[in-house]
Amino acid sequence: MIEKASVTPPLFVRIKDIFKPFTNAFKTPAGRIGLPLVILHVLLAVFGSYLAPYSPTDFSDATYVRPFTDATEGSIPHILGTDQFGRDVFSRLLSGARSIILISAIGSILGVALGTAIGMSSGYLGGKSDEIIMRIADGLMSFPSLLLALLVLSVSDSLVWLDGVSSVFATGKESLLVIGTMAIVHAPRVARVLRSATLTIKTQEYVDSARLRGESAYYIIFKEILPNALPVLAVEGSVRFSYAILLASSLGFLGLGVEPPSPDWGAMISDSRSILTRAPWVPLAPAAAVASLVVGVNLLTEGIRDAQKLPTELPE
Amino acid sequence: MTSDSIDKTDSTPLLEVKNLGVSFFTPRGTVRAVRDASFTVRRGEVVGLVGESGCGKSTVAYSIMGYLPGIVQVDGEILYDGRDLVGIDESELESLRGNRIAMVYQDPQTSLNPTMKIGPQMEEVLKTHLNLGKQEIRAKAIELFESVGLASPDTIGERYPHELSGGMQQRVVIALALACEPDLLIMDEPTTGLDVTTEATILDLIVDLKDRVNAGILFVSHNLGVIARVADRVTVMYASQTVEDAQVRSIFNSPQHPYTAGLLSCVPKPANELGITPRLKSIPGSVFEARLEAGNECLFAPRCPIAKDECTQNAPQISTTDDHRVRCFFPEEVTPDIWGELKPRRDFEADDDSVVIQADDLNVRYRSRQGKKYILFGDEAQPPVRAVVDANFKVTKSRTLGIVGESGSGKSTTARALIGLTQKSSGSMRLNGDELETDSTDRTSEQRADLRMVFQNPTASLNPKLPIKHAITRSLKLFGDLDNQAAYDEARALLEAVGLNPDYIERIPSELSGGEQQRVALASAFAANPKAILADEAVSALDVSVQAQVLNLLLRNQQENETSFVFISHDLGVVRYVSDDIMVMYAGHVAEQGPADDVLSSPSHPYTEALLSAAPEPDPDATPSRIRLDGAVPTMRERFTGCFFADRCHRKIDNRCDEVEPPAQAGNSPDHIIRCHIPVDELAT
Repeated sequence: MIEKASVTPPLFVRIKDIFKPFTNAFKTPAGRIGLPLVILHVLLAVFGSYLAPYSPTDFSDATYVRPFTDATEGSIPHILGTDQFGRDVFSRLLSGARSIILISAIGSILGVALGTAIGMSSGYLGGKSDEIIMRIADGLMSFPSLLLALLVLSVSDSLVWLDGVSSVFATGKESLLVIGTMAIVHAPRVARVLRSATLTIKTQEYVDSARLRGESAYYIIFKEILPNALPVLAVEGSVRFSYAILLASSLGFLGLGVEPPSPDWGAMISDSRSILTRAPWVPLAPAAAVASLVVGVNLLTEGIRDAQKLPTELPE
Repeated sequence: MTSDSIDKTDSTPLLEVKNLGVSFFTPRGTVRAVRDASFTVRRGEVVGLVGESGCGKSTVAYSIMGYLPGIVQVDGEILYDGRDLVGIDESELESLRGNRIAMVYQDPQTSLNPTMKIGPQMEEVLKTHLNLGKQEIRAKAIELFESVGLASPDTIGERYPHELSGGMQQRVVIALALACEPDLLIMDEPTTGLDVTTEATILDLIVDLKDRVNAGILFVSHNLGVIARVADRVTVMYASQTVEDAQVRSIFNSPQHPYTAGLLSCVPKPANELGITPRLKSIPGSVFEARLEAGNECLFAPRCPIAKDECTQNAPQISTTDDHRVRCFFPEEVTPDIWGELKPRRDFEADDDSVVIQADDLNVRYRSRQGKKYILFGDEAQPPVRAVVDANFKVTKSRTLGIVGESGSGKSTTARALIGLTQKSSGSMRLNGDELETDSTDRTSEQRADLRMVFQNPTASLNPKLPIKHAITRSLKLFGDLDNQAAYDEARALLEAVGLNPDYIERIPSELSGGEQQRVALASAFAANPKAILADEAVSALDVSVQAQVLNLLLRNQQENETSFVFISHDLGVVRYVSDDIMVMYAGHVAEQGPADDVLSSPSHPYTEALLSAAPEPDPDATPSRIRLDGAVPTMRERFTGCFFADRCHRKIDNRCDEVEPPAQAGNSPDHIIRCHIPVDELAT
């Protein structure tokens, strides 16, 4: 018997292949709108807090300043006005981008990774284990994601061990819990989709060929099947990301998962909904931000999906 | 037919295609799907349009119907009854389609509406095109069903397409095409998806229709045997051009274009008078691609054995005067020998008797997915399907066992059980004397290295996302214990050995043609010098010239490495060409097995007899034998009694066939076994 160890471990998916669905998506109408929107938001998340003209948390006397008007002579204009405490809405918006995008991104990436691994293994191995895993997934999926998140967050105080973890990551315990919930909520849904993709791909003869060479299940799943499931994965990842954003902002709106007074888009809408008639720009600005992000992600998804129907090499 | 139909001897052309050119403008550039096609179809005549894939045959057919998608430019003339169809009004064309010109497509399943019964589908067509009352339409439908040889024509209208076998579906499609008594019938590969016994009955029908219906038929096919069977005239296409056009006998007996001569020498033929199977010749290179712009040259010159300087300096035009038209400067130089001398199939005799593969009482059952009768308890809802029943065979060193049978005969299952992809139910399989585990993953690495498999569809057997070197180098690393660099070098050598440019090694499969992909699959099977290779329909998806190349490649590998082969195909001609021993399978059972010569000569199992007489020979003078099978291969479930072939057998004797399992009788030699109730000497008559 020849030792498998003599075989150099393969690099499973080339980096180029990961970006390909996105670059292809840009060639479709939906992707051409969606991709720039998403990139803009990502840039906001990275650099937003440095660009903010005012402190996002400091109160001032200039309350209810209308957008595009000067509060006091010689100061920087409040582009999107101020709220009831005199905080600059634009600055709060910029500073709040990072937390929501980071939490949603990490949450969905974890969920997609977990779901992919579970779904592909389950689909490839089949049999009883597949049956059991899928029934557990069904159970998890029947639980409303928001309720699950509320449940987890409500017991967060008793989870003392999490304090250590959160100090390592220099972030709040709630954020970690929200990310964890997202991963658990999304994993079964991703698993389902990737399982069905795997079931189709595994009947292909190149998978049989690999089995006949004596490749391990792990190798076949990640080297032979995964590259062919990437288009499905790209669509699924984008869909999960948009759901994650909605979940994160819903939790923020309910006042969970954030530490006030740090700016959070969901919390901003919730805090200012009582002044909707007096200063509509205060709740509308974060609402528009969430909406444009979700729309952008959905358009990008659409673009990725459309690009798959087109020939693989599109004309420039 | 109507009484005022034109006399059969009428020789004015019904359809005249003159210098037809079709170009598609795609984002990736212009595709010249048809460069220059010219031919004529007369009433009562079948014109065969033949050529390899990518030669524009189907595009010619579709342009006559006016079905050309996308941005397209059509040049030349398509004269139908003297009227030019190029640039004609869509509404005018609409009135011609169905009424005057009808088409039969390759796949009957896509031509029929799966949600509608056959009868209403037929009545709908009749209502659209003919002005008849309800009763008359019904009567007419029944008459049509009868005319295409459908059993019980008066009740078949009550059935849905899925209730019919593939052959019956194609008959219905032909009946639909005939509904309005068209003058011109275009058939695009109408038998390609069918089993060979069914194909034979459909071809009989077409030959019969030709005499009954006063229509011209344009018959598109890649299969020379089929063309020889039905066509009166043949038009050969190469690289989107008509290269030769003549009466069927002239084409097959004295081809004047080197390409036609080459194609004919690529088709496996039976052994000659001396008992020698001639080695297939092959056409080197590949078809001039449709996306390339042709210069002033003969497009076949790069592959032509008699090409001269003139061929690359001038483009030959098709001759216009003679009845035998040809696009070549030197038609008089075309002889059977231009593609190489006649040589025997292989120049060695396998005399080593050591057994490489042996199967004893191999059985495979497919269990129903529906499970038990009462969810968890009771009998199984449906008894298991008998996929392979008591197969016994052995393959000795550097010999080939051919397994032949129609789809559903269990031949692929046998191979998959041998290789360990399908679970056997009982019996034993041995490789070099050592018992093989049921599942491939439980076998030793040496066993996996010694027994390899080549699949039918090269596109599916190579991972589309990985470079072609992947499959080859992984085999080398896992079996040969080579490091990266050594495996890479060896992979290049293997590619070269199968006749591919070693620089292709970094390409992905979609950048290669089907034939090239299959060579890669072969290279990966040849890696680490296996003792035996299972080839499951390995050449079935390939064009005839490529098929010849691949078959010769297999034979060469056998000679050089003393490899044993199990070669599976539905094509009797191909099996006959490569095999030393033949096993004929039907519905999971071995009907007949033994040395190739014994199996192919009398006495034969009735099924072998039917297969032999159904196989279309590329010879228009071959007398078609009249043994025809109805229906399709049944699915045999457990607790089955009697002879597996009883319900389709043309020589069924008495109740014994339905009740008793047929005995294994020795035929011409002790190794030649026939499973039939009819005594051997009676079978010989």
